[in-house]
Amino acid sequence: MASDPYKPPRQIGGELVIPIIAVGFTLYFFSTIWNSPWTAQVSAFMVGGILLLVCAIFFVRSIIWLRRGEGTLGFSNLFTIDDIRTGRIGLLVMTIAYVMFIDYLGFTLMTFLFLAISMLILAKGRNPVFITLISGVMALTGWAVFIWAFDTRFPRGWFETTMKAVLTNG
Amino acid sequence: MDSSTASILTEVFFETIGYWYIIVPTIFLGLIVGGIPGFSAANTIIILMPLTLALDLQSGLVFMISLYCAARMGAGIPAILVNIPGTAGAAATPLDGYPMAKQGKGQQALAISFVASCIGGLLTTVVALAAMPILARVGFYMHSVEMIVVMLFGISLIASIAAQDMVKGLIAGFLGLMIGSIGTDVVYATPRGTFGFLELYDGVPLIPALVGLFAVSEAFVIIEKRVIVNHDNEPKAPNWTDTFDGVRIALKRWVHIVWTSIIGLVIGVIPGAGASIASFVAYQQSRSFSKTPELYGTGHPEGLIAPEAANNGVTSGTLVPLLVLGIPGGATAAIMLVVMQFHGVSFGPSLFENQPKVGYGMFMAMAVSYVIMFLTILPLSRYMSHVTTIPTIYLAPMIIAFTLVGGFVPREYMFDMYLALAFGVLGYVARRTGYHVAAILIGVILGPLLEKYFLWSLKKSDGDIMVLFSSTLGNILWVAFAMSIILPIVFNMRRKRKLEVPAE
Repeated sequence: MASDPYKPPRQIGGELVIPIIAVGFTLYFFSTIWNSPWTAQVSAFMVGGILLLVCAIFFVRSIIWLRRGEGTLGFSNLFTIDDIRTGRIGLLVMTIAYVMFIDYLGFTLMTFLFLAISMLILAKGRNPVFITLISGVMALTGWAVFIWAFDTRFPRGWFETTMKAVLTNG
Repeated sequence: MDSSTASILTEVFFETIGYWYIIVPTIFLGLIVGGIPGFSAANTIIILMPLTLALDLQSGLVFMISLYCAARMGAGIPAILVNIPGTAGAAATPLDGYPMAKQGKGQQALAISFVASCIGGLLTTVVALAAMPILARVGFYMHSVEMIVVMLFGISLIASIAAQDMVKGLIAGFLGLMIGSIGTDVVYATPRGTFGFLELYDGVPLIPALVGLFAVSEAFVIIEKRVIVNHDNEPKAPNWTDTFDGVRIALKRWVHIVWTSIIGLVIGVIPGAGASIASFVAYQQSRSFSKTPELYGTGHPEGLIAPEAANNGVTSGTLVPLLVLGIPGGATAAIMLVVMQFHGVSFGPSLFENQPKVGYGMFMAMAVSYVIMFLTILPLSRYMSHVTTIPTIYLAPMIIAFTLVGGFVPREYMFDMYLALAFGVLGYVARRTGYHVAAILIGVILGPLLEKYFLWSLKKSDGDIMVLFSSTLGNILWVAFAMSIILPIVFNMRRKRKLEVPAE
């Protein structure tokens, strides 16, 4: 069957990421139960065995596609230069920073910074006043609902501590 | 039903209606906490425990029940609009709800979901009330062997989801099952696949997995578009037509609502089983016996009705073992048990003799909550659906921030936020390369349960695998399971043959 010349080739490299993770994880899992009682092994060996088999089928299928020229080992279905332009990489960096620093800066301040910077990255610097305003409102609403009203144990920083002191002492 | 029971029910009904001033605000609270991953009726009742305990018995009961019902329904709202199930019980809702929202039918989808939830909840409340003595015994007959088959009903949904690319679907599903096996084994507590993290010894927590696979990964995908809804399907100005259309579509499928909510009720009465199992089983069964299974996953109303009716059927189901046997059917029911015991209520068979108004009152509170919920929430669907038109440059960061901290809430470990992020990366890779995140999540949710029941069965039989076919009820369920797999294939072949005949 003739392949469509306008259709980009299948990006098999990207499609192989999940099966490779699956195989790696399954082998690691097996290594942790090798000397365990049968109760710890039986279900994992059954499920893991089927997973390895299905992954093997996918690998064989991928080789066939590659040999037929129906695909390449590319990753453009996963990462492209556009990811920098659209702000996806920036959002990813900000998300990692959010998780890393929320414990130190507290929920409210870190949420405000995360929302403001992420939105500015995605909006390519447009509407900074609106973005700052909306980020502040969202962060303060989050604080009011989750920390002040519900008293959940969200990570707390100087803002939460200060507000607690202000509210307690008037 | 004798005349004294009828008079008690009538009296309790009017008393419960009188608590509308508690029910209405609680419904809105429930919708909010149900919609945010990490929050649920259970932990909200815990957080508000001082308030609940300070209220008198009847008020506290009405508050807890209406919060429970509303949170269950609220979990479906973000699942439909932004592909983020508020709880694991709504994990099957976005399979067809989100495609509807993307097609500009968000308002219609919400109306369908509300009607299915309310009718499903209301109907199962009435059935539970009428058949309480029989339903209470279901828990006694469902042992580990029978539960294995129930789990398989849900897990077989992976195969349905995998229909488009079976190999990829199975890889996703079995990877989910492997991830679900992380933690200590249920018999000897041997740690497995934990990467040395103590936080994983109890297994993979569901909320970070849910947040990562659905919310975080979705946020990274939606930024490609200006708004969630497809350009050519942007919703019109707020109107009632779509809401009424949704109501009409749902009511037209009333039989579907009835039988999927009954699935929820039956699964709900089994202690330990929950809304997530019920919604997956209902979705799988709905698809299996549908005349149009190929439409499932593309925004088919029946694919939305099934999980919503089922997970609301679970709410009344969980009350049955709690009230009749004193065994809570789920986390929220367990907290209700604690609160009610504080007020001196003793559960068990004597409850309906000694304090009939409490026993019947709980069901009546549920029925009244569903009726009030229907009247208050349905009109709002026309406004809620406009979430899909918020520019993604604002929506994506909000989704990430509020769902990631939601991942932190249940256990309050910072580790869980990192875990949610890791699942987010996995979910993003899966979405971009054609693997179904729902298949991974089904494995993560149902995998540990299946393993637990499997090991209990083997342990009881000294490793004899034939124990799986040792009980009458289990064998009936095995046959039903086999039928639910084989019959749709047969129906499909017959349908194809019928379509081919005129062509010849």
